[in-house]
Amino acid sequence: MTMGIQTESLTKQFANGVTALANVSLSIGQGEFVALVGRSGSGKSTLMNILGGLDHPTSGSVLFDGIRVDYHDRKRLIDLRRTQVGFIFQQFNLLPGLTALENVAYPLLFNYAPRDERNRTAMHLLTLVGLADRGDHLPHQLSGGEQQRVAIARALVGNSRVVLADEPTGNLDSKTSAEIYQVMREVNREKGVTFLIVTHERDLASYCDRTIELRDGKVVS
Amino acid sequence: MGKELDILRLSGRQLMTKRLRVALTVIGIAIGVAAVIGIVALGDGIRYQAIETIKAQSDLTLVELHPKTTDGVTQLITEARLEQLRSTPHVVAVAPVFTDSYATKKQTFLQVLAVRADEIDRVLHLKYTQGGSFSPGAQEVIFGADLRDKLQRNEGIRIGDNFTAMVREYDEQGMPKDREVPLKVVGALGDRDDQFDRVVLIDMDTAARIRGSFQGYDTAFIRVDDPDTVFLVVDKITAQGLDASGAFEQIRAVNQFMDAILIVFMLFAVFALVVGGLMITTTMITSVYERTREIGITMAVGASEHDVVRMVLYECLLIGIIGGIIGNIFGFLFTLIMNAVGKPFIISRLGSEFSSIFGNEIARLSLEMVVAGMAIAILFSLAAGIYPAIKATRMNPVDAIRGFM
Repeated sequence: MTMGIQTESLTKQFANGVTALANVSLSIGQGEFVALVGRSGSGKSTLMNILGGLDHPTSGSVLFDGIRVDYHDRKRLIDLRRTQVGFIFQQFNLLPGLTALENVAYPLLFNYAPRDERNRTAMHLLTLVGLADRGDHLPHQLSGGEQQRVAIARALVGNSRVVLADEPTGNLDSKTSAEIYQVMREVNREKGVTFLIVTHERDLASYCDRTIELRDGKVVS
Repeated sequence: MGKELDILRLSGRQLMTKRLRVALTVIGIAIGVAAVIGIVALGDGIRYQAIETIKAQSDLTLVELHPKTTDGVTQLITEARLEQLRSTPHVVAVAPVFTDSYATKKQTFLQVLAVRADEIDRVLHLKYTQGGSFSPGAQEVIFGADLRDKLQRNEGIRIGDNFTAMVREYDEQGMPKDREVPLKVVGALGDRDDQFDRVVLIDMDTAARIRGSFQGYDTAFIRVDDPDTVFLVVDKITAQGLDASGAFEQIRAVNQFMDAILIVFMLFAVFALVVGGLMITTTMITSVYERTREIGITMAVGASEHDVVRMVLYECLLIGIIGGIIGNIFGFLFTLIMNAVGKPFIISRLGSEFSSIFGNEIARLSLEMVVAGMAIAILFSLAAGIYPAIKATRMNPVDAIRGFM
């Protein structure tokens, strides 16, 4: 069995006729730290959404550790998001009414984890991303970089084996961006979590093991 | 359970982020609940006072039953039926009666109830102001209080006197013929304020002998053990095809009247509740729109559609609970005000003779009403949240995260 993510002839066509992905076949090994680059509209976010079970392909398939994802099985998709895939967004997307600790613990609420365990796990991950002393801060009390660290911790909280980061440094300055990449890299090395990171910035892509480039919905390198 | 409480707590915090809107919505629901329980409390208070007045002024545990004709078939009061009634739960005593009409020599009409002395005493608890009961088989009678006064005043017939009763019979040609029957007045009943004040009681066997034959019972009086069990016994009587009457009918009439009034008033209260419910729907739809991105993120991190529905409905539940509590408080204050200010006002408008109708409470708030008020608030709130909750689950997570619906 092949560990990691594989896509086979993945195609996504929207209702308006636009083809976002055309026969995309790729393979990302478990524990890889991969950059996904391409121009705007090249299909990067669509690919991420399909891999994360937020969207479904028109044709083709996705395999996690050799197991085909059934996009018609809603329970399976929810389970995928709960236990296998974590998301990091450009806008951080923390819940404004919750503290940093609560934001990290939030996904576990839907996983039937007891409160103490949720908080313990969340605090452990906040420590991992260097925010142990910021647990009781609300998002607006944190800097952009800190918010994205919280988002990284949240992406990992369900013991995710894969983190899909959609332009995680798009809203950060270059120094903070580098710090975020370092944090993700450390998590990748320490926990063996696979990272697929969408980025426009070639120099940040150099932090990654390899780069996959999409152009007009196709893999070009 | 822990998860549910945590989601509930989270929903509470979400509500706190839009305090003013939630407060207005809660007040809307509270007014609806207060209107419902206020109206019911007022209606219940008036109903209670009216029934208590009837209870105080009437012999509620006395039921009179008669044969009844339905679809051409007459159900008679037979010995078998009487036995069945005697063994009916809550029936203390049964006294069958047949009625007759006599007249005095001066043509005073005498309504005669032919009874058995022991049975009628067990049912009516007869109290004598003069004399006592008749002896079985003897040509003796007892006068009701009003009749005693009338005959003593008009005809000089006193207790202990013998008098002649005229019993009208009809010959084969249908011509009336009066027969003289000597009777002795052995007792007079105390004042009862009912039909027994105007009747003559006579032994059943004597009455049958005077008439020449026993024609069957046309009435039976039943004593029930408690005013609250009267309707139970009446239902059993009517189930046998017989007709029942008595003071309990006044209570039934009061209940029917109050029910009819309450239904009309409740319509207005329900309008208030519907407005409250629509406010919740509006609040929650707005909230769902405002939190499009949050809901998308929630789905992205592993919440199921069921979880999202639950989060929205829990917010509605909290609005309902708070609205119900405040509504009950408003309703309680309304009953206090009605009892303090409303009663004197109504009596001043209706006249002092109505003061006895309204005892101490013109409005009565019961525990059942408080519970019902809470239940109404919660049910309306949850119902109002269904549409926004479904709307939230129909979001595409990808669009939702981007902030589009």
